[in-house]
Order: sequence, then structure tokens, then C-alpha cells
Amino acid sequence: MKKLAIVIRDDEYDKILTPLAFAYLEASEGAEVEILFVNWAVRALTEEGAKQIKVGGNHADKDAWVRERVANAGLPNDINTLLKAIKETGDVRFYACSLAANIFEVNQDNLIPEAEGIVGASWFLNEHMVNADHHQYF
Amino acid sequence: MNGEIQVTKILDTSGKCCPMPMVETNKTLKRLAEGDVLQIIATDPGTQVDIPSWCERTGNQLIASNEQENLFTYYVKKA
Repeated sequence: MKKLAIVIRDDEYDKILTPLAFAYLEASEGAEVEILFVNWAVRALTEEGAKQIKVGGNHADKDAWVRERVANAGLPNDINTLLKAIKETGDVRFYACSLAANIFEVNQDNLIPEAEGIVGASWFLNEHMVNADHHQYF
Repeated sequence: MNGEIQVTKILDTSGKCCPMPMVETNKTLKRLAEGDVLQIIATDPGTQVDIPSWCERTGNQLIASNEQENLFTYYVKKA
């Protein structure tokens, strides 16, 4: 695969792990990986937002347990560190959806340095989703 | 088992799970030269399909593999 495009909307800890693991895998193999964070997930691109990401729903009481298991598996178990590790691995770009950024209070001042910036969904869909070998929604 | 294989580097991913064995394999192999042999040790059963298919895809050669008591060992020659 030369190019993978992912849209992440879900910010629950256990649910955001899968797309980030896929991104990590493909980046390590040399693929170009483009990720658009929409909805609540956009807050993962801020330090404070990343800290607030927890296991949710029926498994909310298992947050510490899941994090311990993730660490045992060899992955950084906090989202900010994981994003940094993925970014350092290869040709990876993180984007904040402009609508989500507006709604969930993400701006250039609180965006992590690993993020490329705040972009329109039209640009991402047409420039990256259309041109990717594979695209995924989470 | 690897008496006849000249191993250049050993990567032990024991205890780690997907995606880390593949991430670390990719990272380690990038630092090796063509013809070098990487020995990968893993406990993640997912590597039984991940590593052969990765070799097929990337052109690296899986020259041997074995499993003993849920410990998987692979020998990959860098293309």
C-alpha cells in the first residue's frame, strides 16, 4: 500500500487505538498515511484533549486495565505519546477538521506540533481520500 | 535450528502484540544492509501470518521459521 487515508471520529480510548495501530503499522512499512480527526476525536490533537480520552461506554470502569494491557503489548499507553511515536515512524500527517475544531475548541494555539493544521473536509476528501489506495472510517 | 543461518541481528519482540512486532521489524530492517539476516522472536501468534505476507509484499526473504511452545522465530533476509 502506498497511501492510506483514515477518518477518525470516535475519541474513546479503546476505539481510537485501532486506527492509530493501523496507521503505525502502515507508516512503519513506508506507506504515506493521512489522518483527519473529526467530531470529538479532534481533541486528541491537543495535549489536554488527549489526556481526557478514556475508555467509554460499557467498559468505562476498565480504563486502567486497558492501559496496562496496551503498555504490556509494547505500545505507548497515552494518546499523545502514541501520536508522537507514529509521527516519528514515517510519512504520517494528522489534520484537524475545521468544523470539528470550531465546535470542540481546537485552534492553532492548542494544536499539538505533530499536527499539520486545521483543514476543510472538502480538501481532505478530494485530495487524500480519493487518491488513497485504501481509506478507513473509525 | 539456526546453526547454518548467519544472523546479523536479533529482534526480540516477546510479550509485545500487534502492531509492535511489525513496527519494530520494519524499523530494524531499515537499518540493515541488503543480504543481512534478521532473526525475529515473537510471542504474538498474529506474526505467523503477518511476517510471511509482509515478506511476500516487500520482497524480503523468509528463509526459515519455527515455533516452539508458543515462541515464534523467523529468519528474514533483507532484499
